[in-house]
Amino acid sequence: MNIKNIFMQFKEGLYKTRKEFAQKLGYLFSNSKDKPEFLDKLEELLILSDLGVSATSKIMNEFQQINFKECQENNFIFFKEKLKIILMDILNSVDSVLKIDEDRLNVIMLVGVNGSGKTSIAGKLAYRLSSIGNSLIMVPADTFRAAAIQQLSVLANKAKVEIVNTNEGADPASVVYDGISAARARGKNIVIIDTAGRLHTKVNLMHELEKIKRVIQKEAHNCSLEILQTIDATMGQNAITQANFFNNSLGVSGIALTKMDGTAKGGIVIAIRKELDIPVKLISCGEKLNNLYDFQAEKFVEALLD
Amino acid sequence: MFANLADKFQTIFKKIKNKGKLDENDIKNCLYEIRIALLEADVNYLVVKEFIDNLHDKLKQEKISESLSPAQQIIKMVNEDITFTLGSQKNDLIINPSAPTIIMLVGLQGTGKTTTAVKLANYFKKKGHLPLLIATDVYRPAAIEQLQISAEKINIPVFSLGKSESAVNIVKAAQKFSFQKNNDVLIIDTAGRLHIDNKLMDELQEIDENISLQEKLLIVDAMAGQDAVNSAKIFCEKIGVSGIILTKLDGDTRGGVALSLKKVLGIPIKFIGTGEKVENFEPFLPDRMASRILGMGDVLTLIEKVETAYSKEELKKLDQKMKDRNFDLNDFYLQLKKMKNIGSVDQIMEMVPGFNQFKNRVDVTKLGDREGELKKIEAIISSMTIEERENPSIINGSRRKRISRGSGTQLSDINRLLKQFNQIKYMFKKKPKIKNFSFN
Repeated sequence: MNIKNIFMQFKEGLYKTRKEFAQKLGYLFSNSKDKPEFLDKLEELLILSDLGVSATSKIMNEFQQINFKECQENNFIFFKEKLKIILMDILNSVDSVLKIDEDRLNVIMLVGVNGSGKTSIAGKLAYRLSSIGNSLIMVPADTFRAAAIQQLSVLANKAKVEIVNTNEGADPASVVYDGISAARARGKNIVIIDTAGRLHTKVNLMHELEKIKRVIQKEAHNCSLEILQTIDATMGQNAITQANFFNNSLGVSGIALTKMDGTAKGGIVIAIRKELDIPVKLISCGEKLNNLYDFQAEKFVEALLD
Repeated sequence: MFANLADKFQTIFKKIKNKGKLDENDIKNCLYEIRIALLEADVNYLVVKEFIDNLHDKLKQEKISESLSPAQQIIKMVNEDITFTLGSQKNDLIINPSAPTIIMLVGLQGTGKTTTAVKLANYFKKKGHLPLLIATDVYRPAAIEQLQISAEKINIPVFSLGKSESAVNIVKAAQKFSFQKNNDVLIIDTAGRLHIDNKLMDELQEIDENISLQEKLLIVDAMAGQDAVNSAKIFCEKIGVSGIILTKLDGDTRGGVALSLKKVLGIPIKFIGTGEKVENFEPFLPDRMASRILGMGDVLTLIEKVETAYSKEELKKLDQKMKDRNFDLNDFYLQLKKMKNIGSVDQIMEMVPGFNQFKNRVDVTKLGDREGELKKIEAIISSMTIEERENPSIINGSRRKRISRGSGTQLSDINRLLKQFNQIKYMFKKKPKIKNFSFN
């Protein structure tokens, strides 16, 4: 699949988001009598998109400066461009692509709160990476949730990749140890680790993740380690705290934004980016195995404002 | 977080201390802070707007006296307003007295339907019912297995017809099955779905049209953002939701979504999920949620939990021991065990305002939360002499070595335990009194 097709799909998945946001945006610009009314409506739009108080204030400040009358004459393209530039500025990320290093073992560890879509992303990622010629093994380190191992096995089968054998209740760190040994023995170049969902406030469970990370660093000390945190697009401002906690514990290298196929605006990405230096790397919209895309900040903003 | 709002209020009120009445500007400043607090708690923008407008009118009329703390008065007013909106009483589930009660759980993906189904079944079982779980999530890989495994742990039967039957047929067959087995509460676990997925929403409608359901409960993640109102609205339109269960409230989310949903849809919130264990499931109490949304710490819940874990005499005895500085390692071990019954230590720390500062300074969260850790502590304390337990300060190097050999633990474990004991002893001495906790 070429880049263009990928972006078309990405845009299609974002269609609902885009439609609603753009409709409101058009309405917003054409129906405001004066500056205060316009600013009010802009704030409403941004907060309703989960951008949060802090990011919204930043944007509002920029718009405080404008000459409303003058801009009105140039119609709303001006506003759109300005909004785009500001959002881009917040989202600005240097290197936000999930990298696979060809010279060494790549370990991808998925972390996040319960129900944020870790296992689904693991399946999608396995499908995507194996279909471009990588040799993978999946590690079901969620030995806590009932049938989480089975769920990952089904996805591994669909993606036609191998999975480490384990049982419910096993020590997650030792499953990861086995996974890395198996990857070595079988000559794999990528290990995908699915961990149990946990609320960021559970200190002991966060320590468990730290232990897993230590095992990876010890057993595969030369590996390229990617720690991806899944963030559900329907989440509110607590996602910022989540990202903060996971990052402090583990050093999160990227965010995978999930469930973008609903009506939630995904503005939480902008809120997180405003507060933390973690790039969004992947975006998932849809339940099919191939509904996983590289996050492209500019395209994301464009799609929103289109 | 409560501290934030209270602090901000204090700053505003310091300036107006001698005025006795709030002027328009003071009111504006207060409303601004309340507005930010609500928006940061993810209360829907439009709900916040309406709420603030109402409060503005109220504050203009209200005379804020200088004898009472204005900050306290306003927070109290806001708190009451939110509590009132959230509903005035507990909302019990509707039970069908003559035939089996059928409850359907619906919601977006990942909100916790399957977990909640098992918790709800356990809740009914404890009340003397014979619940039956019905697995209709034929889409998500291993969803049926998840329900089966979780239900098996608490000995509750699961009815399933695999993945080939339609959801409505599974429920119909389960109904027949339940008559033979005398199950009086049937709980349907459905697949997570997007509100805009018409095909899957039709599936829910089909069940609703063909089965007489007592309750249609929408499962909502307490961490949900602004869009929760939109998705909930569509679930209501399509099947007529009768109640809400709010999940994952054991985190630190403020849960503003509760206020939004109640305000916009008028549907009562009936239960909350508060942890990963099957018994972490409680009736929804509006007043506690209100203080949480405002970021005030769920003090009442904690007091209740502490009260069920300790008898009055025990508390008195403990208090006396603290005062007399007689608190020893025996007590320490007992307290750890008790705390485990109440909830995890970090849960407790989070709930008590003022405790957060300790949480950062003393890593007590490492204590007592893990079975293994507790066993280690038990082994160490058991290897001590009575004298050592009562007076840990006498434990010198050679005693430590002996205890280490006796308990099969490392010297560092013993050092850590003693350090933590001293920290806790210190902490209890300085602990703010929960019951006298006030807004200022």
